[in-house]
Amino acid sequence: MSTCKTLLRICPKQRQPSPLPITQCRNESTTRRHKKLLALPEAPSYTLDRSSPTLIFNPPSSAPNVYHTPLKFLPKEDKRRQLYSNALQHSTTSALRHKASPITAPGTPLHTSSHLPPRPSSSLPTPVRAPYEKKYNLTDKEIAEIRTLRTQDPYTWTRAKLAEKFGCSQFFVGMVVKAKDRARELEKSHEEARRKWGARRREAREDRERRKALWGRDA
Amino acid sequence: MKRIVASRCASQLLAPPLPRHALCPFAAAKNAQRNITPRSHRIQARYQSTAAIRDDAGPGAEVPDYAASHLPEASKRRKINYAPEQLPSPHPRAAASSAKLHALRARLSLPERFPLQTLARTLVHPSADPNPYFNNASLSILGRHLLGYYTSEYLICTYPRLPMEVLFAAVEAYIGPKALALVAKEWGIEAAKEPGGEIEPGLLQFKRIPTGEGLPGSLRRQVPWNWNVTTTHKITKTDEFGSANAPPSAHALQQTPVPSEEAAQSFVRALMGALHVHLGSPLVKRFFRDHFLGRHLDVSTLFDFRTPTRDLSRVCAREGFESPVARLISETGRLSRHPVFVVGVYSGKDKLGEGAGSSLDEARTRAAAAALKAWYLYRPIEVTVPSSTEGELDTSKWRPNLIDCGEVIV
Repeated sequence: MSTCKTLLRICPKQRQPSPLPITQCRNESTTRRHKKLLALPEAPSYTLDRSSPTLIFNPPSSAPNVYHTPLKFLPKEDKRRQLYSNALQHSTTSALRHKASPITAPGTPLHTSSHLPPRPSSSLPTPVRAPYEKKYNLTDKEIAEIRTLRTQDPYTWTRAKLAEKFGCSQFFVGMVVKAKDRARELEKSHEEARRKWGARRREAREDRERRKALWGRDA
Repeated sequence: MKRIVASRCASQLLAPPLPRHALCPFAAAKNAQRNITPRSHRIQARYQSTAAIRDDAGPGAEVPDYAASHLPEASKRRKINYAPEQLPSPHPRAAASSAKLHALRARLSLPERFPLQTLARTLVHPSADPNPYFNNASLSILGRHLLGYYTSEYLICTYPRLPMEVLFAAVEAYIGPKALALVAKEWGIEAAKEPGGEIEPGLLQFKRIPTGEGLPGSLRRQVPWNWNVTTTHKITKTDEFGSANAPPSAHALQQTPVPSEEAAQSFVRALMGALHVHLGSPLVKRFFRDHFLGRHLDVSTLFDFRTPTRDLSRVCAREGFESPVARLISETGRLSRHPVFVVGVYSGKDKLGEGAGSSLDEARTRAAAAALKAWYLYRPIEVTVPSSTEGELDTSKWRPNLIDCGEVIV
């Protein structure tokens, strides 16, 4: 410690004189960050606007309960359909009442819940995979052509090429015609490749299969 | 539709009826000593399932050949008092003085009119006493069917869309051998080391498997009779748990060493049967509700979907909904080592299910599985099980249950 001080004393900083006047500056990286930015406002459900005791229900986000049947899955005569639609109507009414202009405020002639506007359709989230329509475009003649091509030369006319040519899925080509010899050879070559795997890779693949089996079980 | 008298269902399992002529005054005096009112219908019911009456029966009482061949001395010459060591199981007379049986009856909150002799009989497994008049085989057959009926009707009415395999698993979780053994353990049933006439009648009596030996052949899992055992076969031909083979009959286990689980199971079943015979079905239903339906089972954990996305699209096609579309609700860390995707399955504008996973495929599959569970685990609001109208003249409370067209087969 003492050496440092002497060293500092020996070589003082050669500072260029600045033309600007020296002013004290405290930027946000120090004080403000520590004091003010961390003082977040409380969650709205915790800030009570009345003194009477209320119930605070603030559950953490979690997957929906599978015992709560969606509206679409309820049978036609189930009472819950009516309850759900009542709740929807009530929430829409209350939302409209909150946002209502002074003209349509409660008590005025324009305030009526008899003809509600339809619920504003919120935009749905984006699909994971692009939705497609089933085409059913192939005729018997084309299917017969797929069969002849695949039987004559399965090495040239693979499933992928046939699917691309006829505009169908590879699964459909496999359904229409099976090239058993080629499938056997392919399986053999895959087996060869798998035999070259080390212990780590093999275990990783096996673990992945096991995890995949759990997807449909513990969801 | 003809009504079936429930008490008549068990009549073929019970001991032969008593002679019609009046009991001798000596027997009446003996009954008075036991603080039992003579000539009551309850006593008649009790004597039906308790072999204790053999002592008091008149000379005209017929003894079947089976009992005569197994216990010739006891039936032909009643005057002789045999030492308890010579009997295969405790004498019914010893039941009244057993503290364990009194405690068990009080612990289960059974009324006083449920006889201790019958309670003692339910504790004797056929492997301990081969005589069907003294073991619990007939009562356990009755109790097994009662348990299966009450459990399956509750499950089918509460979850009308449950697939058959899941229904089998749920029934096994409620009244399977393991569950019944656990129930018996919770009731404080202890097992005797070796059955015999001299031991305490409040102990569960069965012949144990000697150390180092495997299960007997009849209890071992057998190869199915056919490679393709259909669900229909499982429903109609085998037990209530959907096994591939029918279990051995309760009467077939005489002199066979059995595991303690099997003996405890037969005790609980026999107790249900005995309660039905002595106390009637309303009390049995209450007993079943308190001791079996009160046990918590999360049915949603019993599902195992192999191809959830395909199944769900089949469900939607069958029911006429729009085909399901997986939509990404939220995601975090797509380029990191541990991403999380939250995917919802939508049919039209309605969300059917939601799932989270570390890849898009995983989240999609989980969401489809959750939607399928939501379909299969539908519960009607008010459920009236068929047995609730049993013996009641007022049927205005009956509401028809929902009957679903069945699970989706892909």
